[in-house]
Amino acid sequence: MTTFANAESVAGEVKDALIDLIYRLADDDLILGHRNSVWTGLAPILEADIAMSSLAQDEIGQAVAYYTLLHELGEDDPDTLAFARGVEDYRCASLTVLDRGDWAFTTVRQYFYDVYKTHRLAALTESAYVPLAQLARKVRGEQKYHMMHSRMWVSRLGDATDESHQRMQAAVDALYGHALGLFEPTPHEAVAVEAGFCVAEADLLAAWRAEVEPMFEQAGLTSPGDAKPVYGGRRGAHAAELQTLLDEMQQVYRLEPTAAW
Amino acid sequence: MIRCDHVVTNDKPGDPGYDENLAAFEARIARGDKVEPGDWMPDAYRQQLIRLIHVHANSEICGALPEGGWIPHAPSLKRKLALVAKVQDEVGHAQLLYRAAETLGKPREEMIEELIAGKAKYSNVFHYHAETWADVAIIAWLIDAGAIVNQRMMAEGSYGPYSRALKRICYEEAFHLTHGYDMCITLAHGTTLQRDMLQDALNRWWEPIMMFHGPSDKESKHNEILMKWGVKLKSNDQQRQEFLKQYVPKIGELGLTIPEKWNLRFDEATGEYLYAEPNWEEFINVVRGNGPASALRLRTRKMAHDDGLWVREALESAARDERVPVSVN
Amino acid sequence: MDTQWRVYEVFHQQSRGEPHVHVGAIHAPDAESAIVMAKEQYGRRQACVSLWVVPSDAIVGTSYEDVDIFDHGTDKTYREPYGYQTTKRVRAQSTKRPRSMRETEGATG
Repeated sequence: MTTFANAESVAGEVKDALIDLIYRLADDDLILGHRNSVWTGLAPILEADIAMSSLAQDEIGQAVAYYTLLHELGEDDPDTLAFARGVEDYRCASLTVLDRGDWAFTTVRQYFYDVYKTHRLAALTESAYVPLAQLARKVRGEQKYHMMHSRMWVSRLGDATDESHQRMQAAVDALYGHALGLFEPTPHEAVAVEAGFCVAEADLLAAWRAEVEPMFEQAGLTSPGDAKPVYGGRRGAHAAELQTLLDEMQQVYRLEPTAAW
Repeated sequence: MIRCDHVVTNDKPGDPGYDENLAAFEARIARGDKVEPGDWMPDAYRQQLIRLIHVHANSEICGALPEGGWIPHAPSLKRKLALVAKVQDEVGHAQLLYRAAETLGKPREEMIEELIAGKAKYSNVFHYHAETWADVAIIAWLIDAGAIVNQRMMAEGSYGPYSRALKRICYEEAFHLTHGYDMCITLAHGTTLQRDMLQDALNRWWEPIMMFHGPSDKESKHNEILMKWGVKLKSNDQQRQEFLKQYVPKIGELGLTIPEKWNLRFDEATGEYLYAEPNWEEFINVVRGNGPASALRLRTRKMAHDDGLWVREALESAARDERVPVSVN
Repeated sequence: MDTQWRVYEVFHQQSRGEPHVHVGAIHAPDAESAIVMAKEQYGRRQACVSLWVVPSDAIVGTSYEDVDIFDHGTDKTYREPYGYQTTKRVRAQSTKRPRSMRETEGATG
């Protein structure tokens, strides 16, 4: 396989495909990290609060790392990318955009995302774009912990009490289609796969399903058979919730967009 | 057995053996030995420490709220990460402190429920709103600075578990202080809007900050016994002076001014700062739960606690059933 | 209903070869969750290679009232290196040897 050592070694449609891939990674992490960070100080118990806050920090931290790769590829600096783009420029999946909901909603969403992210990162460690492969290897330890954390919550809350089961199943029903939207095909996919930057979305989805199903069986949860994937996020078509989130996130930044904060 | 179980044994004046036990207890403290959970201790010492650590823990968990509200609005990636980490630390400190208080025999849940019911106090400064981003900077710099003065002192106190928790807390507060100072420097060196925002925040926060270490207590009888028992090592005024000496010059260096109504000046003769006395009636009123943000704080804490009830119950129940947990490996 | 969960004591090992050190305690419903939560409360800043959690009520300790059981009532210096006067004794012996031998040892004091 041909590898691409750095930003200078990619060009044309290959470069466009790489940039599109990294935007998806970065924006998912930023937006989900933002949602999770709001739990800090408000989670069900102090110990859970601390752990959830670390997840948020890891996600935002990984977003920074991806934005830095984009900057090397000629895009704006990380803060400008995070704070000064229009809503249609974001490439996050709808799963990450939804408001935080209750603890069941948060932990089910996190579980869906973590299974996806674990397989995504595993494949990226072999990416033909060397800086991306290096980054994926560096953050796998964090991701391993996120997976432990997610499995801990889903396996316990799934069938602990009637209430916890109901809430978890409701979250699964509400989120499943959005989770499938993580694997939305993009016009750049064929080129990116061909270049060896990433694996096909369909392959990731198969790995995701193969992991989620046995866990749900153990946790007493059921996947909705008829869930339709919620697409649009990967091409910048978002629900109004993302604009609300960005208004909130950019509120102070917009007071003096050119100033240091 | 070393347990947190609260075993009451003749720990009140007049109880058999109280005087002998008290003499040994005071001798231990005078030697500089720490008091540990299984030790005999006067009930008054235990109650005083529970109250003190409980208020301290409440202040951490309530202190997470005004700043936590600004997490979604942090204006750069670095500030966002640092603010999340800082508020996370406050929650972590609450966890450590409630645990230290638990070793004296009071369960954490009871302490949290008392807080929510308005039966337990927390620091005056968290009864105010954080109105702008600059408030976040002032809180992280100056309130954490005030807290460090207090916590460094308390870390030398006589109760082992509290002292151990405070050592770690002081270490983490050092990051908060630097993070806050860094934000203040940026705003002070920034645009007119940013500088004005910072000065405005300082103007509003200066009174709560002056009150932070509590009313003058140099002469109090109560203070004397707390000092003897190593529960308190410096008077409120001493702590306030220590804070002023360290931070007033730094505030000036940033081109900020302390509102004139305080008539704050350094007295060469005594080596201390002189100032107009804060309104202590307001202080008492605020810490009793009548501050501008008091109701909101308790409402938010209660909401978090109530919303989390089903989660705590579910995991309690899952564990009680001795359900085989799914491996996380 | 009490929903604060049980208490686990947490032990932290900074690097291989170092002992696990007690760093505090957390509330958790079971051992595996205790590990997941202790990792962030006690392992988020310092270097760490291993964490242990132990239910607090599994720990049995001595009472501070019995601290005198650790006192040494009789001379126990025989089990310490400083309980022996090897150097002094060897030197005392060497002064009894012939002068020529002592010089070749280059005794400096």
